[in-house]
Amino acid sequence: MFQHILLASHGTEGAIAAETMALRVCAANGRIDHLIVVPEFWQGMTGDDWLNNGITRDRFRDYLDSALRQDIEQHCKRINQKMSDRGLACRHVVLSGKPEQAVLRQAGTQTYDLVVIGSPRPDGKLGLRSAMLTKKLICTLKTAVLIAPHPEQNT
Amino acid sequence: MIYTQKNPALFIIGLFMLAIWYSADSGLMGPVLEHLASGKSYKYYDELGTLPLYFGLFSVVTGLWHWLGRHREGHLDYYSSTIAGGMLILFITMLVRWFIAPEIEVISISLGEVGNTGKYAHDLFGLNYVVLGIVAGIVIVNVFRVPSWAGNGVRLSRLGLKTGVILLGALYSAAELKNLGGLSVLMIGFFVLGSVGIVLWIGSRRNISHSMGGVLSAGMGVCGVSATVAVAPVVQAKPVEIAYTIGTILLWGVGCMFLFPIIGHLLDMSYVQFGAWAGTGILNSAQVAGAALAFQPDGIETLMVAEIFNITRVLILPVVVLWLAVWYVRKEGADAAQVNVGRVVITKFPVFVIGFILMFALSTTGIFAPASHYQGKYFGNTAELGFNTENLLKTGQIELLKAEAHKVERTDHRDALNRLIENGKIMSIDEGNTILSMIKTAYLSDEANKILNTAHKAVYHTAKKIEVFREWITWLFAFGLVGLGMQITVSSMKQAGGEPAIIGGIVGFIKAALSLIVVILFIGDTV
Repeated sequence: MFQHILLASHGTEGAIAAETMALRVCAANGRIDHLIVVPEFWQGMTGDDWLNNGITRDRFRDYLDSALRQDIEQHCKRINQKMSDRGLACRHVVLSGKPEQAVLRQAGTQTYDLVVIGSPRPDGKLGLRSAMLTKKLICTLKTAVLIAPHPEQNT
Repeated sequence: MIYTQKNPALFIIGLFMLAIWYSADSGLMGPVLEHLASGKSYKYYDELGTLPLYFGLFSVVTGLWHWLGRHREGHLDYYSSTIAGGMLILFITMLVRWFIAPEIEVISISLGEVGNTGKYAHDLFGLNYVVLGIVAGIVIVNVFRVPSWAGNGVRLSRLGLKTGVILLGALYSAAELKNLGGLSVLMIGFFVLGSVGIVLWIGSRRNISHSMGGVLSAGMGVCGVSATVAVAPVVQAKPVEIAYTIGTILLWGVGCMFLFPIIGHLLDMSYVQFGAWAGTGILNSAQVAGAALAFQPDGIETLMVAEIFNITRVLILPVVVLWLAVWYVRKEGADAAQVNVGRVVITKFPVFVIGFILMFALSTTGIFAPASHYQGKYFGNTAELGFNTENLLKTGQIELLKAEAHKVERTDHRDALNRLIENGKIMSIDEGNTILSMIKTAYLSDEANKILNTAHKAVYHTAKKIEVFREWITWLFAFGLVGLGMQITVSSMKQAGGEPAIIGGIVGFIKAALSLIVVILFIGDTV
């Protein structure tokens, strides 16, 4: 069992599998740091819009910001429920940028016993494209990594 | 917060620009320019002698101030922070327009014509400075990232496009604007409202959420990313729906920008036909301007047509936002008070269109140039109107025309030829048109036709002011498009997927194909 776990989860099916796995391997009095990454592609979401005025663009950014914030809050609420059911301490960390870099950044701030992340979704499964599990991440992390299998992955 | 960064980048950009100017001015760059001209005269020589000097000096001076000066929080700091990024875009545009695009042309010509198309690869695939500039922008943002000192300036590039559209207003004649406006209202009205309706209908058949249907219909129907940005908060689209939609539109837009000019050249479309097709069929408004300039890089006739369509689209945007807002409220049963018609119209109204109309109104007063100067070239057969007396027909040329005069059958042709022989130059616009018609009929020898052609060219001139306007507009659009390229990230394009990819693919293809058919069948070379 592990005392201090870094769990990277953002609410997808693969990430929920990682949550379950983290809860399973966490010691009774252990602590889980829950990392949520807001991928960098959101910054480019106004793309090459040039026709709108500043008011419209600002309104869009504020709207997107609040919608993403709402998603994160709901996700944290769900995790809190799971953690309190198991009597575990949980801290939420929100970072923006490339997912692999965010995990590396957070893993470098403290000593973790284990990093738990989900598997990429199977081919053909719909979802946003922002890979966390990369070769670079695995090769650079100095902590043990547990990759939870995707629920729909054939064994 | 202080936005201006203490960084030598702008100073260095300025030094590079000055180095270009010095190398061109002193002749050091002669062999390079000769190579790039591939046997002809290098067409950007005038620009090389001025632009890098002026902007180089400006960048060196402001660059020193940015690097070594003291900056305080405030408006001046905010606006000055945009200079470095703006000059970076301008520098990239210069490199692409003056060196990279001509080099691609040299390579393309050396490879020979593509199959039996009769065209070289750079012509066929539209590999000119506009397309290459946008590609350079996309490569920079995705491979190297936009440096932090350039961020504010890169965002400023929109201003280049808006200013370009405003200046463009000065180049239309009232008849052109009326005819193009009427045509664009018909085509945009049909295709935009049709696409919005079709997306909503397909959406309901495929059971997608109303928020997704709303945001997707605006994006696919009106003006791509801009419409999505305007409509997303109104229909309360979820982030994932926004990501799918914008990713799909960007991917389509960039694809169309490359594909449309190729198809246009293969079908030998006229400027009007291509401008109308690009203005209707391309989902994203930024790529409409890109495709128009890619199709005709050395002129702005196509751009003038396409931009009228773009303006019509953006004027329709508030209407579509209102429509979707009311539709969403009805479907979701949300609070109807959310839809404030006045607020939507005011906040979504494109202010730059007022600038365009003002410039058009000013030009009709003759403040910039006489009305006749706007029609591409104007007629002038006196020294005051720009005729060069050295262009009078020489004795040998007159003798040759006299010797072949008996071959001319039509009376009007014969009269026009006799008047030309008599005066040594074309005396009126009508006679000029008759001479052109004679050249096309080709009953004289090649040499005699060449003389007629020279005589015709000698009495048609491009007004200096209009030429300068056109140059400025081309630069502003090129600047704006390179900057917009620097805001297209592959990571956002990669989000294309889900229902938007399917529905967008269907609607985008139908719109492009149908508008092509309509343009080919009903639109001619002029309006």
